[in-house]
Amino acid sequence: MKIAVCIKRVADMGARFQIGADGTSVSDAGIKYDMSDFDEWAVEAALQLNEKHGGGEVTVISLGPDAAQETIRKALAMGADKGVHLKADRIPFDGFAIAEALAAELKDGAYDLILFGRIAVDSAAGVTGAMVAELLGLPCVTAVSKLDVNGAMGTAERQVEGGVETLSFPLPALCTIDQGLVTQARYPSLKGIMAAKKKPLESKPAQLGAISVSVRKMELPPERSAGRIVGEGAAAVPELIRLLQTEAKVL
Amino acid sequence: MSGQNIAFLIVLTAALGLFSYNIQRLVSYLRLGTSENRLDHPERRTWNLITIGFAQTKILRERGAGLSHASVFWGFLVLTAGTAEILLHGVWPAFSYEAILPRPLWQLFMLSQELFAVVVLVAVSWLLWRRLVAPPKRLQGKEVHGLEAVIILCVIASLMLTIYTTGGLEYASDPSVRATQFGWFRPISTGLGALLTSIPGTHVAHDVSYWLHALLVLGFLNFLPYSKHLHVVSSLINVWFSNTSGPGQIGVMRAMDLDAEVEQFGASDVDHLSWKNLLDGYSCTECGRCTAACPANITGKPLSPRKIVVDTRRRLMEKAPLLAGELDVPGSAALFLDAEGGKAALGNVLLDNYITEDELWACTSCRACVTECPVSIDQLDIINELRRGLVLNEGRFPEEVQPTFESLEKNASPWAFSPADRAQWSDGLNIPTYAEAFAEGRRPDILFWVGCMGSFDDRAKKITVAFARILQAANIDFAILGQEETCHGDPARRLGNEYLYQMLAKGTIETLDRYEVKTIVTFCPHCFHQMGNEFPQLGGNYEVVHHSTYIERLMDANLIPLNTEHGQRLTMTYHDSCYLGRYNAVYSAPRETLKRALPVLTFVEPARTESRGLCCGAGGGRMFVDEKVGKRINVERTEELVATGADVIAVACPFCMTMMTDGVAKLEKDVSVLDISEVVAGQLLGSARTA
Ligand code: SF4
Ligand code: SF4
Repeated sequence: MKIAVCIKRVADMGARFQIGADGTSVSDAGIKYDMSDFDEWAVEAALQLNEKHGGGEVTVISLGPDAAQETIRKALAMGADKGVHLKADRIPFDGFAIAEALAAELKDGAYDLILFGRIAVDSAAGVTGAMVAELLGLPCVTAVSKLDVNGAMGTAERQVEGGVETLSFPLPALCTIDQGLVTQARYPSLKGIMAAKKKPLESKPAQLGAISVSVRKMELPPERSAGRIVGEGAAAVPELIRLLQTEAKVL
Repeated sequence: MSGQNIAFLIVLTAALGLFSYNIQRLVSYLRLGTSENRLDHPERRTWNLITIGFAQTKILRERGAGLSHASVFWGFLVLTAGTAEILLHGVWPAFSYEAILPRPLWQLFMLSQELFAVVVLVAVSWLLWRRLVAPPKRLQGKEVHGLEAVIILCVIASLMLTIYTTGGLEYASDPSVRATQFGWFRPISTGLGALLTSIPGTHVAHDVSYWLHALLVLGFLNFLPYSKHLHVVSSLINVWFSNTSGPGQIGVMRAMDLDAEVEQFGASDVDHLSWKNLLDGYSCTECGRCTAACPANITGKPLSPRKIVVDTRRRLMEKAPLLAGELDVPGSAALFLDAEGGKAALGNVLLDNYITEDELWACTSCRACVTECPVSIDQLDIINELRRGLVLNEGRFPEEVQPTFESLEKNASPWAFSPADRAQWSDGLNIPTYAEAFAEGRRPDILFWVGCMGSFDDRAKKITVAFARILQAANIDFAILGQEETCHGDPARRLGNEYLYQMLAKGTIETLDRYEVKTIVTFCPHCFHQMGNEFPQLGGNYEVVHHSTYIERLMDANLIPLNTEHGQRLTMTYHDSCYLGRYNAVYSAPRETLKRALPVLTFVEPARTESRGLCCGAGGGRMFVDEKVGKRINVERTEELVATGADVIAVACPFCMTMMTDGVAKLEKDVSVLDISEVVAGQLLGSARTA
């Protein structure tokens, strides 16, 4: 089975963010980058599907500046077979512009299955996958928590409020992968890292669509003020109630 | 030459031939291992051979059994000279030491033979009794060849007895030699002979006794290569080649070239281990001293360091003959295999078919096994190589370790704390960073390396502050790296992830060199060992001092203003950290520091202490692996420490601190756990708190 996985390089969410000088982006200082978590699970899902059904090929595609190649190498170290880098100076916010570039790359790839993470953990828009499906005219299932294929048909499960939905769809198709499909993406072994250096990675300019949505301003959330200890045990209760009434005004 | 001499010559030649064939075969199997130079520092190696080998210092760590075994060993050394004469005599009756030695010397030699045979007999009887009647736990276990040991002990006893019977029967059968060959210098043979003079047929009986003795010697010799008693031949050689007591810094993990074009990183099978690891396999006596000291084994985990070594030998004995096509080698495992079975056996690997992943991850890298082994085997080296094999080739490790690796990669700390928070503990303490000192054109004398525990763990941060206060009180010109400190990667290295380790270690070395750091002080024994002893492999050379030694030096120089008023009398015990004690032989500095900080201290030692101290359970990356099986190691250790009756358990390692604090909480004991620097800081003049 030929599977394509579209992955995004994102800032590590554990970092302490600062707004860049332009006021519309995150400053690079002290930030580490890695593959978006959902995309990592998508790569893992693709690898597991091919391991289960034997044979096949997993291609990872990432759009972004040159550094995106590092993220692609990580997927190759995990076990993907080849990588495609769609070169762009920066990753635009406009999901549709990205979707057009990805669709242009994917359309002639004869993939049976195209996987995305449900969202990118930095922008959290969750639209690009569905847009690519639309552009390619493929069936699309979002937020998949279980996935399998059987001949020319795929089955997927989705967690919905209070239950589980099982869907079936013809291949080729596009799915976006939710948390829970795999417990943990595999950790690349040194052997995998060495092998990844020799795997094909093609870099070409991204054919981004026209950008119609852009960020105007970014702001950090207001700092939380420090907590206060009113006292201990039952004796503190009256004071606590007073403060909750007068200062916090929640009672 | 009589007919008997010719028969003897034939038997002797056949026996020596078979023996040398087997030895050559075993030596050739070692070539399956990877190459490694063990010829460096011959003087140090020879010293090890003299002390550990001939003087049996390590075997004597255990009194009873140690002395018995050492007696057998020394007896063998002495008696081998006699055996050589006996064998030569069989072929060439005219030969005797009597003819070539001055008479007094010869008499002394004869006396030594008679007396050492008694010593060996007594020791062997005791060892037999112990095996059969009251076997200690360490001699049990399914990898132990118990029956073989009993047979060997019986053979040795028979060898000793036939020395006397042969002598006695010679006395009885040949009156002509009585005056010259017998007397005070052969008391037992002479006495025995005197009793036998009246019995008929002593002449034939003498020949039978002689042949029996010689055949037992030759039989024993040829049994060795097929058994654990191969150690008789290999252990002295092994001690010479071993690095476990030096040369070189002990406890240092093997250097590894990650750029090498290789198919295999670390080890999965015997051919990935070095020839020395394989020689370890030959040399194991199955005594179980290692396993009896292993904290994992003691608390019911699946790991036994003896089994690791025995499995290495078993797998070698399976694989090497198959590769050499020696399907017909008598006694090799392959003997029992047809071609099909041979193919299947070749497909086995040491990892999984013999040693499981769970055994490997149970190891705390405490070095207790290595320290105890009387023949200087390095069990831990095999474990570490197999861990590397698991992680580097297959990405296999306990799932809870993955966040640790990922955090090390992203945050340069095993825990997911923001690097920006690393120096938060120092807020308001007026402690300069290297960056600040450099900006002012200053070069601090000392780098206080805080470590990840000291930076992020709430309990350990108190140690950090306590030690910083001591440095300030002593007016030391020191600085920290602050946010620029990064994990040196030791946890990754111990967990088999050499790739991640080298990445982190190289990064740290770069920072240290950028700030021209020369001397580093740290209270974490893992940082101390890693940066001081293992960084040189990657080109980082610094003087690294553990705070216990550093505080002791400051006290020696009277630089720490201590409150000398006698406070309340405390009973205190100290828990040895493995990476400080067994890895670096720092035993007295922490104890001295405590005693000098608290002059009225009652200091008590736990049952297992110093080089025998039991691990807290956190080493070898175990801090990051869930302890699911058996009793918790920290509880086992805390029970022992609490049993001393101490009010305070002193530690000198932030990891031990966590483990002991948890242990005390679990046991619901009112005992406090303090780092030695906290004890000292509590006694600083002008300090509000006393320990
Ligand atoms: S290093 Fe310690 S835990 Fe590991 S096998 Fe040896 S004794 Fe056991
Ligand atoms: S490895 Fe050493 S201590 Fe352990 S059983 Fe073998 S000889 Fe004894």
